[in-house]
Amino acid sequence: MATVPTTIELPDEIQIVAADELPEQVTLWQDAWRRLTRNRMAVIGLVIIGVFLTTAILSFFWTPYPTWKQALGPTYQGPTLGHPLGLDDYGRDILSRVMGGAAIALGVGVGASLLASTIGIVLGLLAGFYRGKIDVGISLLINISYGVPDLLIALILVVLIGRGIQNIILAISVTAWLGMARLVRGQTLALREREFVEAARSIGTKNLKILTRHILPNALGPIVVQATYLVPAAIIFEAFLSLLGLGIPPPAPSWGRMASEGYKALQIAPHIVLMPSLALSLTVLAFNWVGDGLRDAIDPRMRR
Amino acid sequence: MSRGTLVYAAQRLVLITFTAIVVSSIVFIGIHQLPGNAIARERRINPATEAALLHHYHLDLPWPQQYALWLGGLVHGDLGESLVNEGTQITPLLLREAKTSVTLGLAAVAVTVIIGMSLGVLAAIRQNTWVDYVASTAAVVGYSVPSFVWAFLLIILTVTGFYAWSGGTIYEDIGWGKIQQIPVPALALGLPYAAIVARLTRASMLETIRQDYVRTAWAKGLSARVVILRHALRNALIPVATILGPLVTGIITGSVVIEFLFGIPGLGQEFVTSILSRDYNIVIGVFTFYAILIGLANLTVDLLYPVLDPRIRY
Repeated sequence: MATVPTTIELPDEIQIVAADELPEQVTLWQDAWRRLTRNRMAVIGLVIIGVFLTTAILSFFWTPYPTWKQALGPTYQGPTLGHPLGLDDYGRDILSRVMGGAAIALGVGVGASLLASTIGIVLGLLAGFYRGKIDVGISLLINISYGVPDLLIALILVVLIGRGIQNIILAISVTAWLGMARLVRGQTLALREREFVEAARSIGTKNLKILTRHILPNALGPIVVQATYLVPAAIIFEAFLSLLGLGIPPPAPSWGRMASEGYKALQIAPHIVLMPSLALSLTVLAFNWVGDGLRDAIDPRMRR
Repeated sequence: MSRGTLVYAAQRLVLITFTAIVVSSIVFIGIHQLPGNAIARERRINPATEAALLHHYHLDLPWPQQYALWLGGLVHGDLGESLVNEGTQITPLLLREAKTSVTLGLAAVAVTVIIGMSLGVLAAIRQNTWVDYVASTAAVVGYSVPSFVWAFLLIILTVTGFYAWSGGTIYEDIGWGKIQQIPVPALALGLPYAAIVARLTRASMLETIRQDYVRTAWAKGLSARVVILRHALRNALIPVATILGPLVTGIITGSVVIEFLFGIPGLGQEFVTSILSRDYNIVIGVFTFYAILIGLANLTVDLLYPVLDPRIRY
């Protein structure tokens, strides 16, 4: 005779708890942060970024030697105790210059990411929400820009507007915003049809408030991920410009410029090129790790 | 090739022509709004000579008229004359340089696809073993190291390293013109993108090798080589093909720096020298060439889709 179970057996993962014992409520962002800090690579990336950020801030107040000071010792000298990363072709201390370079790289990277994201978010929201002419215009711009390498546009702009750090940030952002605009436009197009937006509209919420309070917060996840990836892209971009001799003018210690100055002596003194290259690659790697970690942490499809 | 494909390709060619004209027009008009003129240099110049030069380049006309003249030349494939080296016709010059850039670009794409796919497949079929971890870590690191850093490392390895190792008998010269000078810049250019291809191939292979038809292939007793390469990889390639378009654009951008570092006489180096010497006619010409090259590269990629995935038709 088959036994009829008198109690319903719940699967292990479902537990009945009293209301006051419920696990604490976490917001999307708290949850994302928890996932991010559980991702080993992302944490290593955050630590590396932290080290470079500290170095960058420190470089404003103190570097072992002034970044511009020449003839501190024999030119092309390799690493020694007094100059742990060696001296460059003018006898400048490479450690000091790598520190100063961190400030430039992070400044350009974060600056360009913020500027490009802001332009991209605003125009993407407008294009996706209002559609019509503004959407046609932005989509056309995006499509044309696919046909031109953005480095060329930045190079032309730098030649035209000059090579200060603000101009470099501007020249990078001029093309970098398009990717963000495309992302935000797509998100907005999908979100504006959702019920909660319709509900907001039906109670007479103003368009501006719908955009800022309902659509933008819901698109923020992918935006943050994209903005994170924009930082290393901008850092590499600045290095490209500097390598071609069109970056931030000397004697500012940009990593790309240091590499380009050391390039002619690559055979006899490879450390001049390798130190800034290493710093640059490490920074880019760290941001990519954090970006990957954020993507996995925020992507709703990965949520359990 | 079906009729639909031909119609599609023809439409795209029209679009590429249109984009090239629009892009070069924007650059043309933008540059002609600049104050001063392209002839003025640091050295002083005889007013009569200056007037003659301005007239020679039609720079004495208002810009709409210059634009009309330039557009007329463009539709005949004539990009005009260099502002710095008088008498140098731009179209044949850039055609020659485009050939160099395309050779380098194709070599870089080959590097990207071969290395990226091999790493990706290896990581997928050895999932969660040390092979996978090494390949996956190499992929993130490879992507984060920009092409010019790869160039430095490869130059140190091949030029300096081989020279010292062989006691001075092997001397690898960087430059262009000999076939053995192609691999190093192609590797430098292709390695960051190979890393992206490796990541995508791994993810796509992992999905494919769990499918029923692959299990059937194993069950039939086919060899591992046939199952992986013929059955799984062919389908795993479809998602990978989608990034070939952006990848080609990326490789073209990267080639500007790589050509500059290796002294390769391609479009990228021409662009940098021209913009520094303010030879705006060549700058505009390079934009036209790049717009056409990127358009053609993307068209080629799109025409590859139906070959990889017969469900796609145009």
